[in-house]
Amino acid sequence: MKGRVGIFVGVSLLLAVLSLWMGPSFVGETRDFVLFELRLPRLLVGALVGATLSISGAAFQAVFNNALATPSTVGTTAGATLGALLALAFDVGGGVLGVSLLTAAAFGGALVTTLLVSGLAASGRLSKNDVLLAGIAVTLAASALASGVQFASDARALVAAAQWSLGQLPQVGYRGVFLIGPFAAVTLVGLLALGRPLQNLALGEDLAQAQGVNVTRLRFLVLLVASLGVAACVAWCGPIAFVGLIVPHVVRLLIGPKLRTLLPLSFIGGAAFLVMCDGIARVVLQGRELPVGVITAALGAPTLVFLVSRARRG
Amino acid sequence: MIKALGVKLRLEDVSVVRKGRALLDHLSITLESGQLLSLVGPNGAGKTTLLRAALGLLRATSGSIWLGDANVQELAPKQRAARVAWLPQHSSAAEELSALDLVMAARFRFDEAFAKTEHEARRALQRVGAGDAAERALGTLSGGERQRVALAGLLAQAAPILLVDEPANHLDPAQQIDIYRLLGELWREGASIALVTHDVNLLRHLGNADQVRVAGVAQGKLRFECPLTAPQLPERLGALFGVTMHELTLGGQRVLLPERNS
Repeated sequence: MKGRVGIFVGVSLLLAVLSLWMGPSFVGETRDFVLFELRLPRLLVGALVGATLSISGAAFQAVFNNALATPSTVGTTAGATLGALLALAFDVGGGVLGVSLLTAAAFGGALVTTLLVSGLAASGRLSKNDVLLAGIAVTLAASALASGVQFASDARALVAAAQWSLGQLPQVGYRGVFLIGPFAAVTLVGLLALGRPLQNLALGEDLAQAQGVNVTRLRFLVLLVASLGVAACVAWCGPIAFVGLIVPHVVRLLIGPKLRTLLPLSFIGGAAFLVMCDGIARVVLQGRELPVGVITAALGAPTLVFLVSRARRG
Repeated sequence: MIKALGVKLRLEDVSVVRKGRALLDHLSITLESGQLLSLVGPNGAGKTTLLRAALGLLRATSGSIWLGDANVQELAPKQRAARVAWLPQHSSAAEELSALDLVMAARFRFDEAFAKTEHEARRALQRVGAGDAAERALGTLSGGERQRVALAGLLAQAAPILLVDEPANHLDPAQQIDIYRLLGELWREGASIALVTHDVNLLRHLGNADQVRVAGVAQGKLRFECPLTAPQLPERLGALFGVTMHELTLGGQRVLLPERNS
């Protein structure tokens, strides 16, 4: 067990560092510039985003006791998409507080949907499946509105919207690290701190409550703390598919379901997985980059199927 | 491990009404400190509802529920967990978790270091004779082993009042007797226990049969409360379940055999 954890962490760190050298090679002064001014900040953003999405996925799967829960289950991505499409449709330029209005609108949209669902969860009158349904309803409503906005948009906005929705780590130096960093930190620290009561939930909601867990409050806190980070990530990078679903499952299959290890290892594994996928996205096509979301889905889905079938065979 | 702290559980004129149906109907009952009270009654009588109300898992429509001097609804979750622990009838714990994980979770109410939690959990597992199962996944344990592990969880939570719901369901006879013997030991160590069961014959395996009390519940009402050894118990149980209870004597102890009324 301890050995496996060590190997997992070691391999993750190795892959993350190796990804720094993935991509077109350069020599001399350009090399240092590419490595330290372009790739390193991008690696850091990727690590933050991957870690945030994965640990949130693990926490949501625990809080909803549902293997299919993802960081977007409570409508975060749909809200961000709606916000982004509105910004594109109205062709708003400029920015607020150092970020583009597009990013700000996406962040705002994500917060609105998330707070709506978390607020419902906080009322305490809804079961976990009711909250899940509310998340799906909010997602569908936001998606429908987004479709309406797209219908009314011009061709240029549609192309930009399609690009945004693929999910991509932007090439913008260290600014992304500072912008996402605080939100990601709240999510990572907050969820790690909630690991213990989340573990009680795995015994059943009623038993957890009898053991002293305030289940309503826990659910609200997890939704809130996770969604802050996820909203920041999605607003900055667009929706990056599959990371938050797959990484926790891979950790569970390789190491085990205990949240004490699952949460921190999802964090590390998610960071490594996303930066590695980003490295692959840089080298797969000659002369241009693929959006990283394409790689995460293409690589993640078969990995999960392989691991699940191996686990079933025992 | 469990100390009698003089906390008693008291339900005062409690009703629980859901969808127009009274699951508990003006029921009053007291579990004295150090007492073992067996709740018997037909399916749907309200026994499990009574336990869930006492745990604060559902809110009484009227009446009040007291854990010592505190109203259940006014206690913070951790304070409540310090007074009362629960062994549910059905476990919905994830099968991949280890026995140790399950018992460690029961220490949630304590603010203590991880090492201390693990130490206490292992001690509780050893106490119930499941020390060897600590690292095994719940899904690989037998029914009897699982109940032992669940009992270890009750011990680890270290609450003076234990609410135990059908602990011997689906167990083979040897395991049933083992679990009841273990419960009897915990009782003699000072725990107050409310024990839901269908089978009063199992109660003699607790030991100290003359001190075990039996409460009959039907349609959300308390129908009777008397000692296990009371002469009128067979008749009352027969009326409660709608059967005829025959008495046999086995090794000086009374055994009841139900027969359908024709």
